[in-house]
Amino acid sequence: MEVLMNKHRYVCVLVAILTLSFSVFAQPAKESKELVVYAYDAFCGDWGPGPAIVEEFEKQYGVKVNLVSAGDAVEMMTKVISEAGNPWADVVIGITDDMAQKMYDANLLQRYESPVLSDIPSFLHFDPLYRLLPFDYGNFAFVVDTERMKAQDIPTSLASLVDPKYKNKVILIDPRTSSVGLGLLLWTIEVFGEDGYLSWWEAMKENALTITDGWSSAYGLFTEGEAPLVLSYSTSPVYHVTYEETTRYQTAIFCEGHSTTIEGVGILASSNQKANAQKFVDYLLTEAQLTIALANSMYPVNSKTELPAAFDYAPKPKKSLSMETEILAKNLDRWLTEWTQVMSR
Amino acid sequence: MRDDKNMQYKRFYRVMPLPSTMVLLLLFFVPLFFTLSSAFVTEQGFTFSRIAGVFTDPYTQRIMLFTLLQATLSTLASLLVALPGAYLIATYSFRGKRLILALSAIPFVIPSILVVLGFVIFFGNNGFLNRILMTLFKLEEPPLSILYSFPAIILAHTFYNFPIIMSLVSSYWEHMDGNCETASYTLGATKAKTFFSITLPRLLPAIISAASLVFLFCFNSFAIILVLGGGPRYTTMEVEIYRQARMLGQTGSAAALSLFSILVTSILLLWYNRTQKRLALSETYRNSNRLIEKKPATLPGKLLALFYTIVSSLFILGPIASVVVRSFMASSSRSGAEAFSLKWYRQLLSLERATGHMNSALQALSNSLVIAALVALCTVPLALTLCVAIRKKEKGSLLELLGMMPMTVSSVIIGLGYYLISARIRGGLLTSYSLVVLAHMVKSIPFVLRTILPEYRKIPNSYIHSSLTLGAGPLRTFLQIELPLLRGAMLTGAIFAFALSMGEFNATLTLANSSIVTLPIVMYRLIGSYNFQGACALGTILIAVCTLVFIVSELAKGGKYDR
Repeated sequence: MEVLMNKHRYVCVLVAILTLSFSVFAQPAKESKELVVYAYDAFCGDWGPGPAIVEEFEKQYGVKVNLVSAGDAVEMMTKVISEAGNPWADVVIGITDDMAQKMYDANLLQRYESPVLSDIPSFLHFDPLYRLLPFDYGNFAFVVDTERMKAQDIPTSLASLVDPKYKNKVILIDPRTSSVGLGLLLWTIEVFGEDGYLSWWEAMKENALTITDGWSSAYGLFTEGEAPLVLSYSTSPVYHVTYEETTRYQTAIFCEGHSTTIEGVGILASSNQKANAQKFVDYLLTEAQLTIALANSMYPVNSKTELPAAFDYAPKPKKSLSMETEILAKNLDRWLTEWTQVMSR
Repeated sequence: MRDDKNMQYKRFYRVMPLPSTMVLLLLFFVPLFFTLSSAFVTEQGFTFSRIAGVFTDPYTQRIMLFTLLQATLSTLASLLVALPGAYLIATYSFRGKRLILALSAIPFVIPSILVVLGFVIFFGNNGFLNRILMTLFKLEEPPLSILYSFPAIILAHTFYNFPIIMSLVSSYWEHMDGNCETASYTLGATKAKTFFSITLPRLLPAIISAASLVFLFCFNSFAIILVLGGGPRYTTMEVEIYRQARMLGQTGSAAALSLFSILVTSILLLWYNRTQKRLALSETYRNSNRLIEKKPATLPGKLLALFYTIVSSLFILGPIASVVVRSFMASSSRSGAEAFSLKWYRQLLSLERATGHMNSALQALSNSLVIAALVALCTVPLALTLCVAIRKKEKGSLLELLGMMPMTVSSVIIGLGYYLISARIRGGLLTSYSLVVLAHMVKSIPFVLRTILPEYRKIPNSYIHSSLTLGAGPLRTFLQIELPLLRGAMLTGAIFAFALSMGEFNATLTLANSSIVTLPIVMYRLIGSYNFQGACALGTILIAVCTLVFIVSELAKGGKYDR
């Protein structure tokens, strides 16, 4: 009797698990009429611009939007590409210019030359084929803790940052593990060229207090007072002005110009809702611009957008530098290897 | 009749590990297989060249050597700090003993970024220790430069791991029969001689078991090594895997590197397992006949115990306390100076309009609690069934290796595997919850296995044989003889599973497509939007919840020999 019961129990468990495993690996079918929008995690959170934009758009156009939070930007792209055989998303938000090549190679995006593009400065049109359209941008910059560094000591250029007086005063980020860290690596290549960037890094080794794994730990160390300079975005002080009412943290503007990261939005060729998708993209590039700029701490691309006063503490650099996506994709592996060799010596 | 019984016996032990194997298969081996197989696939087709390249590349070899070196040193340092503590806990009864044990799993629940920040707040250039010294001795520059060096890596790993060893070894030690030691004293051996030739060899199974956990943990460490080590000089395999997989999008190379790691760690694990099994077979189980003394007898003994307690508490509590203190700070005025404030806690409880992610904190807390409780409840039986099979089967060590595998594989690689799953499933909230619970279980199984197995191996075969001879079936023997003897180990295992689940971040985010918020997820979002103090407040809640759960379970475990 007992044996029988045991047998039954385990058979039941087995059947249950097997059923579950089949349902897990089964392919779900594409659903209904809603517009499916993939965006990176921070865009969709309560804190991000996503929820407010979707609500307003649904109200104005009567289109149901399903905003899917798909991890960080890299994870989101991996997800879209891995779903190529069974596509779900109509619109994808947040692929930056420096990672776009992989998306182009996958050949999943639909060209869309929006009429709004005329309001967007041409240096932001990073994709000449308009598969990805810019919706916001930021500049990498060093942020200064003015309570720990006198005004006359604040560096004015990348070149001046290697001065021995900044020994152990700078927190950097590893380009192998962080997009902000990668931003600085590209910035130095844009400024010093392929021949010069490694000697800048060689000289910076002494000045870097540490090179962290990601932006979060770097900025955390910085606000804990470990060092007066940190690699971040030129818009970082906006947060401190808005929520902490302090102007202690300021952006150091460099005369060589600042490297730019541009976030793009694209429509998938597989979408069967192209008209609505285009409406949504146009909405992002016009009415949603202020919401995006405020929530993302980035600059709006549409030159008609008026920014609040807090953005006065995030001065736009006079010169924005960027690199062609294709050149980047071709050389990135080599640059990272060279960088690692120099930095681990 | 006899044959029938034999069949029943065999079938029981064959069926036992099936559920846990299924869970591991579904949420670990299948996705892992698909990810790792990309190491052999190129545009030209099947190839071994990638693997061969990784194994012969001097750069990869150097990184592998460094990874092994730092993991070995960290494990040794953790053992050195942990064993005196385990001795004190196993030998004496004193106030606060349960609390110390309760604190031991806390480093697990704090995301590594907060541990790093805690370290910086405590040991950093502008940290607590340095500021005290600067005020005391009127110094201009911070006197201690502990961080951003190789020793800092070892220090942080020791902080993370010595409590685990202390807790696992002391729980084994407490249940060890004291008669051998008494006999040794009677025969005239000194205390030191008795310790080194009797006690230490008998403790080895537990020590090896705990050390293997710590080793794997340090082997895959990431943020701590980069931030506290000071940068790329100290590169581990995990960083390289991350670079290939995430920055360059080359899954194939990442998979090849990961296979190299898995191979090395598996060889080490197999060796550990064998040693442990051989040692454990010679040990017998006693329901604690050890004499628990009230206090150390001699004055030097007392002083030593006191010194150790103070130093180790400072060491473990310093960084944790830093996180707690930070959570009560907020800049209150225009000047930006920070002062004591309950702002974050008021926002958390919705007593004050919350800014940003604080909105979802309460929801996250209840999600985390439900998930962690489910994980603890489900993982222990699963791991237990694995233990039964590992002990009974001839090929037990293979099964043991499989159970430990989730710890040997880089989290980046597991993450890629979870993409395969999440790209295929678009179920509702319930599916997301189930997947998250299952993934957390997979992550906890190695820990629970390592907690229960050494205790389980101590149960003499004669107990089971007697029970079977007297007519009880294998199930009844298991439920009425073996289970009660394992109560303590099961509780410890449940604690670890609970803590690991509370602190888990990556799998939750990937598998639930962010539709489920947990405390670590909200913490990362807060940090990502400049709110470090808010994140510390959530960290403090995590710490408080876990301490509470641990104290309760320690009390439940205490039982008759806790005086």
